[in-house]
Amino acid sequence: MIEVEALGKVFRVHRKEPGLRGSLKALFRREWTEKPAVRGVSFRVGEGEIVGLIGANGAGKTTLVKMLAGIIHPTSGSAKVLGFTPWERDNRLRRQISLIMGQKAQLWWDLPAADCFLLLKEIYRIPEPAYRETLDYLSGVLDVRKELNVQIRRLSLGERMKMELIAALLHRPRVVFLDEPTIGLDLTAQRAIRDFILEYRRVHRPAMILTSHYMEDIQRLCERIVIIREGEFVYDGPLAAVVQRYAQSKVIRAHLRRTPEPVQVDGDLRALGEVVACSAEELCLRVPRADVARASARILERYPVLDLAIEEMDIGTIIERIFRERGEVGGAGGA
Amino acid sequence: MRPRLFLHLLAFEFRAQLAFRATFWINALAGFIAEFGVTWFVWAAVFRESGKSVIGGYTLDGMVVYFLAVVLLGKIVSGREFEGAVSGDIYEGTLNRYLVFPAPYTAFKYAQRIGFLGTAFVQFALFGLASMLILVLPPGNVTLASVGMAAVATAAASVLYFLFDNIIQYVAFWADNVWSLDVAKRLVTTLLGGYMIPLSVFPGPVRRVLEVLPFRYFFEFPARVLLGEVPPAGWAKGLALMALWGAVAWACGRLLWRRGLLRYTGVGI
Repeated sequence: MIEVEALGKVFRVHRKEPGLRGSLKALFRREWTEKPAVRGVSFRVGEGEIVGLIGANGAGKTTLVKMLAGIIHPTSGSAKVLGFTPWERDNRLRRQISLIMGQKAQLWWDLPAADCFLLLKEIYRIPEPAYRETLDYLSGVLDVRKELNVQIRRLSLGERMKMELIAALLHRPRVVFLDEPTIGLDLTAQRAIRDFILEYRRVHRPAMILTSHYMEDIQRLCERIVIIREGEFVYDGPLAAVVQRYAQSKVIRAHLRRTPEPVQVDGDLRALGEVVACSAEELCLRVPRADVARASARILERYPVLDLAIEEMDIGTIIERIFRERGEVGGAGGA
Repeated sequence: MRPRLFLHLLAFEFRAQLAFRATFWINALAGFIAEFGVTWFVWAAVFRESGKSVIGGYTLDGMVVYFLAVVLLGKIVSGREFEGAVSGDIYEGTLNRYLVFPAPYTAFKYAQRIGFLGTAFVQFALFGLASMLILVLPPGNVTLASVGMAAVATAAASVLYFLFDNIIQYVAFWADNVWSLDVAKRLVTTLLGGYMIPLSVFPGPVRRVLEVLPFRYFFEFPARVLLGEVPPAGWAKGLALMALWGAVAWACGRLLWRRGLLRYTGVGI
């Protein structure tokens, strides 16, 4: 559904020296510099797939999404979305795609969501029965039926984001670009939106590209991730594989019955892994995957354990580790 | 764009205007009183101080009626409060939303602009008539036919103004902020369009040049058609010139739009 070949984007940026002198100088002569935002990336996204784009601020995630949504033109390369070149903005394509921007309100601030949805019904030429059915379904799943007639500006951030999602999905798009859909939301709202996206994917099977700074979004929604750094793909593959490759250890966290003194970690256990935390009521060890069972058994055997958890390394830490490793070897190559 | 979508957009924007009842009425009333009131006092002073009873072919009453028509129709034509909407979309990145919609942006904005003119239409219908009655102004040669012709001329002027305005708005693709250009445009169009002073006070050679430039068709032409000062042949000729200038403005705007989109960076997301 999405095919991208050697896509690149270079922005021309005005550089101004700081201070009044720089401002005056810029009035007469401007200095420009070229800033590559996306450097020749290639990938494909199929039906029903949610691909998570991960990268630091300025890595090129949003630029890539903007090109695929047809908002900006690339400097080089090609892309096809549902067989169309997105920046040619063919209406046949625009009726089948959607862009959700968590940082930018799309709906009309002063009117109720119901009025905005009616306008979108006209824009996308949605037949009345399909419109009723979809609106009923989406507002029900997101639990915002009671808020449909409230002005957008009077809604909470979470409610507003839910309305944005409804607006973006009313026409049942086959390709959805989600740019930070949960940014700024509280945990409950984040969870509701994630559940909704998964449910929508199950029912309609669209291709989705998701950018997010919340690793929880990525972990819950994406089986495949693309890690982007300074416009280049550092990794493109299953999330599980990156965890396997870069998280070669797990964390064993044991909650202990409180003792007067901090527990002593014996030499055998130290030989199995690294002690992360040790107190009168907690023992935390990072151990290689292969030694998890052995280390757990030993902890259960020797300490007064109330509860024991085996945790995967946090995905954020893994990504940091990848960036660090790639940085050390002098930049990224495609994975 | 489908007429159904156009009308829907128009009604949608009008509803958005009605969301602020106080602002709507304050804009309608204060905007009219400020502009028309100042014009009236200034011209009354000019006539009194000059000691003349006719200036540029107008008596004081005739001048006041002319400006009443120009101010009211001019608001419909220029949609001043909506000016800057397109450059604002480019500058703030709200254009992104429209680029994803399967609808032409220009038609989208024009429909919104007409919907936005709710206050201008109220001013025209309500305050225009009220002023004529309260100030006991002579209706001039206004007839049913001149009203009909003026409606067509005003609609054409509105499209023409929008197309010319877009040329300046699209400069935002390169310059980010086009506020100064907007001010310059307003100065030129109001001065050479008969909004500040009637074109009849300009010397003959200047008037002849202004006849073929587009500016007078924004303001003076619809107003004079309404007041019955333009015969049907002059009206048809004026509409033909407007169509010609409209084609030029459309072509320039189209070129800038296409070139501008190549540079557009969609800031803000």
